[in-house]
Amino acid sequence: MFASKRLGKELGKLHEHIAPGITLVSAEDLKQWIMDIRVLDDNPIYKDQVFRLKFSFSNSYPIEAPEVVFISDAQHPIPMHPHVYSNGIICLDLLDKAAWSPVHNVESICISLQSMLTGNSKNERPPGDDDFVRRNTRRPRDINWSFHDNDV
Amino acid sequence: MKVTIKQWNAVATWRWDMAEDDDVCGICRSAYDSTCSKCKYPGDECPLLMGECNHSFHMHCIIAWVRQEQSQDRCPMCRQPWKEKGA
Repeated sequence: MFASKRLGKELGKLHEHIAPGITLVSAEDLKQWIMDIRVLDDNPIYKDQVFRLKFSFSNSYPIEAPEVVFISDAQHPIPMHPHVYSNGIICLDLLDKAAWSPVHNVESICISLQSMLTGNSKNERPPGDDDFVRRNTRRPRDINWSFHDNDV
Repeated sequence: MKVTIKQWNAVATWRWDMAEDDDVCGICRSAYDSTCSKCKYPGDECPLLMGECNHSFHMHCIIAWVRQEQSQDRCPMCRQPWKEKGA
């Protein structure tokens, strides 16, 4: 399979070295991984918080982007961000067919999300969050995002 | 003294002739001299392709990528239109 060989390689690398602020929580199989991230600066919005990400890979990874969402539990909130819905769904071009490239990997996605948080100064949810969270039944990959905010 | 050679074994190694320093395919992360994720034996069976942008991939990897509509026929590294060098 395409995905398992490549994910195996990524996993080996991550065990050797991982970028600061990123932790591999579990990768029990080569279908779903859990990663924790925190921001590296002192952005007050995310101070002392650790965020948990769920990566789901299809057999076509890395030709196909993984599905990446924030998940919450008692210790891990969903980060406040104008591109992160309160159900954990992330609107980021990199994760969409529009801008995904197979040279990205789990670590580079985590770094992109760290920097997306670090650069944010708005302690708010995307417009229409309530409505989206209540009505959306689609998986992130099936949503037709429009990317209009180039500042984040 | 006269020597009669009865048997001999030759051993050779090979490498793809690459200009790049980076020695893994950006798509599958396997060494260029190794195979793509699907092949078993490296070499002519699993060759490399270089684009006009000078980025190289295993042929099978880059074909799997550009065959997808979402690739928009762009190089995964630099997003320039993918065109095989010399093609």
